[in-house]
Amino acid sequence: MMEAEVEVAEAPVAGRLVRRSWQKHLLTFLMVFGPGLIVMEADNDAGAVSTYMQAGGQYGLHLLWTLIVLLPICYFVQEMVARLGIATGKGHAAMIYERFGKWWGHFSLFDLLFVNFLTLITEFAAISLALSGLGVSPYISVPVSALGLTLMVVTGSYLRWERIVIALCLMDLTWFALADLVHPDWAAVVSAAVAPTMPAGEITSSLIFLVIAIVGTTIAPWQLFFQQSCVAEKRLRFSDLKWARLDTLIGATFTVLVAGAMMLMGNYGFEHGIRFEDPAQFAGAIMPILGHFARNGILLLMVNAAVLGTTAISLASAWAYGEVRGWEHSLHKKLWEAPGFYATYIAGVSAAAFIVLIPHMPLQLVIISVQVFAGLILPSAIIFLQLLLNDHELLGEEWVNRPWNNYINWSIIAVLFALSLLLASQVMLPNLFN
Amino acid sequence: MATIQNSYNAEYFRVIHPLDDAPEQKRSSEGLGTITMTPIVRLSLKVLRGYLIVMGAMLLYHVLDLAGMLHQIR
Repeated sequence: MMEAEVEVAEAPVAGRLVRRSWQKHLLTFLMVFGPGLIVMEADNDAGAVSTYMQAGGQYGLHLLWTLIVLLPICYFVQEMVARLGIATGKGHAAMIYERFGKWWGHFSLFDLLFVNFLTLITEFAAISLALSGLGVSPYISVPVSALGLTLMVVTGSYLRWERIVIALCLMDLTWFALADLVHPDWAAVVSAAVAPTMPAGEITSSLIFLVIAIVGTTIAPWQLFFQQSCVAEKRLRFSDLKWARLDTLIGATFTVLVAGAMMLMGNYGFEHGIRFEDPAQFAGAIMPILGHFARNGILLLMVNAAVLGTTAISLASAWAYGEVRGWEHSLHKKLWEAPGFYATYIAGVSAAAFIVLIPHMPLQLVIISVQVFAGLILPSAIIFLQLLLNDHELLGEEWVNRPWNNYINWSIIAVLFALSLLLASQVMLPNLFN
Repeated sequence: MATIQNSYNAEYFRVIHPLDDAPEQKRSSEGLGTITMTPIVRLSLKVLRGYLIVMGAMLLYHVLDLAGMLHQIR
């Protein structure tokens, strides 16, 4: 009772008055909403667009079911992240350092920074490719994008950044318009989504690795670090957990639906015999049939995906590095109030943009390196997450995983370990699979 | 608190943005040190070390292969 009175007395006179209980719930949800949607939708980055469209282009609707399987997996993993962020008010990197010591902390942090930086290079390569398709020189598109991405974060307001990024996420609704444009057989789409089928012919290694690539692109290591830091940055309260869960569920559902729309676009190529190496090539190939809207839509959505991925991944790095170094690491701070944090973000974005502009840059090597190092960081980050969520000393009984959480999460971890190992083996020891 | 029932009129609810609200006392690891090595923590870290050793060995093999050194050995 005493505690409640103190809390009320300390609460600032701020906020909004509403009359109805449902208005209170809706408004509270809208205030909490953001990190869950952003972390999920930013994961539909340039690499994901390419993977999902390739899946549709090579196997039609046959791999659509993988997305339905991945939806609960994404949710359960990110729910743990949100819970840990709300309970501790700290980022994932800081928690690994504090509870597992410097060795594991250094390993997780530097692997994360490295794989994130390599991923940034692929994002800028996608921006360059997509805007080249619209006639913009990479020497203009890449530096302008890097500048825009920097200006997004240096305003000294987390909320401003969040609103911009949510608007970018909602632009992905255009994928549904594009999917509708190709008039898919919706009955076949629903059937393929809920009833797994195998493509004609035997199960090949390329099919297996495309499935693994879909898993790898849907659950990325930076997401664990990003959402926890984002929740801490937004100062979500204990009572916000149910809304953070809903935010995460909505984000996971939206992301899977957008990914499905990308597969439907690829499926259009599959049905019409259009072969393509990347989404930009596909966009050029369908223009004579579907018109400028389809081509420009795909190219601009590819840029949007890369921009979303870049800002989220760069922030994941900057937050993680800043909190471990003990620097000010907040978007609430001005540029001069958190110089190390902003320098990390700007250095990552600028260096990746610069590397993309180097002629004959070996992009394939970068993509392979991303897969290998993601295979190192994802299982370790997720196992630390699971152990932290079972850390009774740290979290008490209220916030730790329930037994059913643990059954699900250990199963997910076992599958991710196996898939990461398989993907890395295929990349590093290709002769084993030929 | 996410919402506070207004004290002067029970029909109203005050909804406060998390960024404007009073800070909460979070669960802190201060003074706890590193995590207690329960059997599950010990086993998990052992499995993780084993996994990283296998991945490291594969990476080393791949680098040596790319550098053409394995070809020379064979």
